[in-house]
Amino acid sequence: MILSKLKQALICLLAGRVTLPYPAKPHPPDEGFRGYPEVDVDKCIGCGACAAVCPARLIKIEDLDQTTRRITRLLERCIFCGRCAEVCPEDAITMTRQFELASDQARQDLTHQCEIFMATCRRCGACYQPATPLDRIMQPGFRSDEIDRGGDLCQYENVCLESQQAENTTATVGEGE
Amino acid sequence: MTAQELGASLQQTFGDKILQVNSPQPGRLYVTIDPDSVVEVAAHLQDDLGCRFVVNAGTDRRRQRGKFLITHFFAKDEDGIYIALHAEVDEDDPRIPSITPVVPAANWGEREFHDMVGVVPEGHPDPRRLVLADDWPEDLYPLRWDVEHGIKPPIADCTPERKPPPEGSSVVPIGPYFPALEEPAYFRIFVEGEEVVGADYRGFYNHRGIEKVGCSVLTYNQIPFIAERICGICGCVHSTCYCQAIEQAAGIEIPLRAKYLRTIMLELERIQSHLLWLGIAGHIIGFDTVLMQVWRMREPLMWLCERLTGNRKTYATNVIGGVRRDIEPDAYDDVRSVIKEIEREWQALYDSIPGDTTLMARLRGTGMLPKDMAIEHCAVGPTGRGSGVEIDVRVDHPYAAYDRLDVKKCVHDGCDNLARTLVRLDETLVSIGIIRQALDDIPEGPVLAEVSEDIPAGRQAISTVEAPRGEVFHWVLTGEDNRPERWRVRAPTYANLQVVPPMLAGSALADVPINIGSFDPCFSCTDRMEVLDINSGQLRTCSAEDLSNCRR
Repeated sequence: MILSKLKQALICLLAGRVTLPYPAKPHPPDEGFRGYPEVDVDKCIGCGACAAVCPARLIKIEDLDQTTRRITRLLERCIFCGRCAEVCPEDAITMTRQFELASDQARQDLTHQCEIFMATCRRCGACYQPATPLDRIMQPGFRSDEIDRGGDLCQYENVCLESQQAENTTATVGEGE
Repeated sequence: MTAQELGASLQQTFGDKILQVNSPQPGRLYVTIDPDSVVEVAAHLQDDLGCRFVVNAGTDRRRQRGKFLITHFFAKDEDGIYIALHAEVDEDDPRIPSITPVVPAANWGEREFHDMVGVVPEGHPDPRRLVLADDWPEDLYPLRWDVEHGIKPPIADCTPERKPPPEGSSVVPIGPYFPALEEPAYFRIFVEGEEVVGADYRGFYNHRGIEKVGCSVLTYNQIPFIAERICGICGCVHSTCYCQAIEQAAGIEIPLRAKYLRTIMLELERIQSHLLWLGIAGHIIGFDTVLMQVWRMREPLMWLCERLTGNRKTYATNVIGGVRRDIEPDAYDDVRSVIKEIEREWQALYDSIPGDTTLMARLRGTGMLPKDMAIEHCAVGPTGRGSGVEIDVRVDHPYAAYDRLDVKKCVHDGCDNLARTLVRLDETLVSIGIIRQALDDIPEGPVLAEVSEDIPAGRQAISTVEAPRGEVFHWVLTGEDNRPERWRVRAPTYANLQVVPPMLAGSALADVPINIGSFDPCFSCTDRMEVLDINSGQLRTCSAEDLSNCRR
């Protein structure tokens, strides 16, 4: 019995003091930690891939008008899985090492909202993202001096992918008959 | 015996009562039977073929077939076969004979499908509610497809049905929050003086409805992250188990490296879970030095997991088709040095235990779970292995990379709290060995298979994983809209908790916390519960009536 207690005492003594001085001294997590997901609004193209994969379903996408898409993230619900950062085609989302997110006003402090300029589809009127950055800046409304541009549009200019596909399907069916 | 042979022998024995036999994957047998013959087929599987009952599931298939599907799952561990007994029940007359009188372990599962889809198990010996709150409306069955996933019926007056205590005994309530584990569970212990003569359990106080969310709102690749949150301690087992089920149903072969990576994470998780349990067990019996020192030993492991996956817990590594984050070869030495340090500390701890008479007095000969009782109630994991039941999914039904690694079943036949402690201590060492071997053998290559095609509807798959607490079971029936039609989860505590009331009888009241604790119960796994925010803001004293009103 005594021998056993001595062994146990030895375990405790050898360990010494292990408590860290956190939070008096910061204790940043290692590289690769999945903390607060930071969004680079300039890179975001509003494609909505993050909203489609988010397991907590906290990313809301609304089209305010034909050129403005609003993306709201209620990050108080975030489970920090990092799926949004993984699927983002533009690498606009980074999982930072920030973990000290406790707040008594979580709704205000942890809501992230951005409004993205989008093109308008000539056929269905929905917001969509042009295929290349060049197409994007050629959109009417992207730059103020381009607002009255128009006229020489090719067949699929300012037409979203869904409408193009729908059109193609209809055309094929029509030819078959 | 292979699954096909078993199917053929069932057809021979029962003739036209067996409507359909199907074995699309090796080691899996799906049998559709006539609902009236379910009792005799179940009894034959258990008594004549020595199968172990796993769980049962109720599925609302009125949209597809106009029927409810009731399924009883069995395992034939020595041959590595899982058997699903499907019985289709008419929607106008939803009743099926109860198998609980012959298969006692089916007790909870039958009550659950009664609560959730409204099929009545006729002849059930204890037809009380199990999962739903006592004031939940009578005719509202949450798992039916036409019930919204977010409904909240109003709170109503109700009288909970409680098992009456035996004549002459008093009731000692433990709960509704279990004192040592800080989780919702309500045991009513019936005592005569110091001796326990019986017990009743009520749980599921905060059911999260994770299965419902998975089958009505989420998509296939969102579920792994929700599945991981079924348990706060062994989350990786649930996400692995779910992903394996979908991969099996869709016929996706994942890269070998991904299998090894899953194995390594599962074993790291087992070590941290067993160390956590050892600390809690010390805390329950009032030996807090164990709690402090074991959790100190565990901490470097948590940091290791954070470096490997990006978080201490809820690693979020599993998706359908493999894992998301590779372990770089530079990190292998990091893993090796952490587990070496744990091994050294573990040895020091192990050496100091047998001579400690206080510890032995609390563990040896208490919480007796005889082997026949463990088999009858289908106890799994260390709870079963501490009573000499030789089952371990890693060996019996190998998954991930376990068929390529040396896994030893750690079995003790002391049947007491000490035996269950020793099983976990031994398993920690075995896990360290598995991780070392996996790190030596792991092949190079990709970690994620490309999944480009849609997963066809109407396929089913059974997947199991040996969690630190025992066998985790997931059954998936694939559906339309990129989500499962039915996803059934059985956490190990669901099986182990059912054995608690019969086991407690005869023990001393002072031993009850450690007896329950020695099962390593994970109430939230079992409940799949949720926390609702209630904004009252005001401090007040709650009466018993108020508390029972807060039930949902």
